[in-house]
Amino acid sequence: MSDEAVVRRTGGAQWLPYWEAARARELRFQRCTACRAWRFPPQPMCPRCRSLDSAWERASGRARLLSWVVVHPPVLPAWTDRTPYPVVLVQSEEGVRTIGGLVGASADELVMDMPMVVDFTPSPDGDLVPQWRPG
Amino acid sequence: MSLRDCAAIVGIGQLPFSKNIGRPEEVTALEAATLALEDAGLRPSDVDGMCKWSIQVTSENAIARNLGVPNLGFFGEVGYGGGGGCGVVAHAAAAIAAGMARCVLIYRSRNRGSGGRPWAGTSRERDQSQTEGNETAFFSPYGFVRPVDQVAMFTRRFLHERGYTTRHLGWIAVSTRKHAARNPMAMMREPITLDDHARSRLVSDPLRLLDNCLETDGAAALVVAAADLARDCRQTPAWIRAASQGMGPHNVTMNNFFHDPFLESPGRHAAEALWRMAGVGPREVDVAQLYDAFTPLVLASLEEYGFCKPGEAGDFVSDGGLEVGGRLPNNTSGGSLSEAYVHGINLIIEGVRQIRGASVNQVPGARLCLVTSGNMVPTSALLLRGDG
Repeated sequence: MSDEAVVRRTGGAQWLPYWEAARARELRFQRCTACRAWRFPPQPMCPRCRSLDSAWERASGRARLLSWVVVHPPVLPAWTDRTPYPVVLVQSEEGVRTIGGLVGASADELVMDMPMVVDFTPSPDGDLVPQWRPG
Repeated sequence: MSLRDCAAIVGIGQLPFSKNIGRPEEVTALEAATLALEDAGLRPSDVDGMCKWSIQVTSENAIARNLGVPNLGFFGEVGYGGGGGCGVVAHAAAAIAAGMARCVLIYRSRNRGSGGRPWAGTSRERDQSQTEGNETAFFSPYGFVRPVDQVAMFTRRFLHERGYTTRHLGWIAVSTRKHAARNPMAMMREPITLDDHARSRLVSDPLRLLDNCLETDGAAALVVAAADLARDCRQTPAWIRAASQGMGPHNVTMNNFFHDPFLESPGRHAAEALWRMAGVGPREVDVAQLYDAFTPLVLASLEEYGFCKPGEAGDFVSDGGLEVGGRLPNNTSGGSLSEAYVHGINLIIEGVRQIRGASVNQVPGARLCLVTSGNMVPTSALLLRGDG
């Protein structure tokens, strides 16, 4: 397996809707069909109502910045030329926490709790994935 | 029913730590197990139980077959890597309290100093993310795969919320190294300053090289014995006053920022259970071995185990607060940061030494020692007690 290929791990079948949505420039999170609670990362059962029925619904794409890191070497070979690079943690309007790369700004411009919006740019394997920009 | 004081750690064995131990993990596990049994004055034929980390590759039947153990009436393992260490001892003590075993051998051997990092080459560990149940698989397209990255994400927000600084992290690194300087077994013994910490290279900003533990080839073992057997052993027993595990709600391993309440660590839950079983609290503790795979884990543990209120851990660790003679002597062998990183078994061994009065950084009259395991993952804790 090439280094480019292994940076993109799907996590198995329950992650496929997340990646497919991103290719269509949509941010989707898993949501309980019964009680309407959002949840992420994906899992089979709703911890609020125990329903096994869920759907991947479109999120607003607006979020709040909770934290960030700047990754320095050593890293996977596919990432070496990109170091140092930031990764951000956000909380979406739906209450879901997720991470992504930073676009449209440098880490120096980040401020705790600033508003962020989703964007879609390629990961090293060329696939569009959700990223975050100040907004 | 409680396992309180039902069992004691009666034997410890540890090989010299190194970057390349030159022998397979099965062989070094057997060497460490032999040392621990000799230390206790016990024979392989006395062993009737084994317990291990689930990531330990060498299986119980291999150890038992090699040592010539006639039968194991108890064997089990605990998951979650560095969160499991004290839990392995807890399971041994629980099995003894429940009458399933009288003498449990625990071992950890790990060639990580000479082996590859799982994120830097093709390995089985990387392929696990292809299977179901991998809740952090979506990190990979962002180059966010090292434990240090995930802890750094927690750390920046934790420092922000509490008003701590990276200088507080520096104090933890400096104090731990000071203890290691007196320990001939420690891998890193050169004293460091706060400036050395602040100038060490960034690995995952805000964390620097000196915030990270050591990549180690190491092997160590423990013998846990029932109370009546423990009293007849060669060494002063380190009684297991209390032991606990904790996970908390909505756990995502290594990523406490998914937890609710936000940033809460499994350590808080292990702490509550530990003090409840022990019947004593943090004020009674003489010395601690707080899991330090990364410096910020110690700040979080000081809050979780009740040594200080949220927001007060920075002052607590400053000005030598964690050194012998300070507020809470901590990681007196040099810990994971400066002695060795073997998923915390060396912290348990140092806890036993403190109870025996045999540490190179002995806390005078130490009677109660807290030992904790990794608190960014489902975790565990031990309270060791001396006879005095």
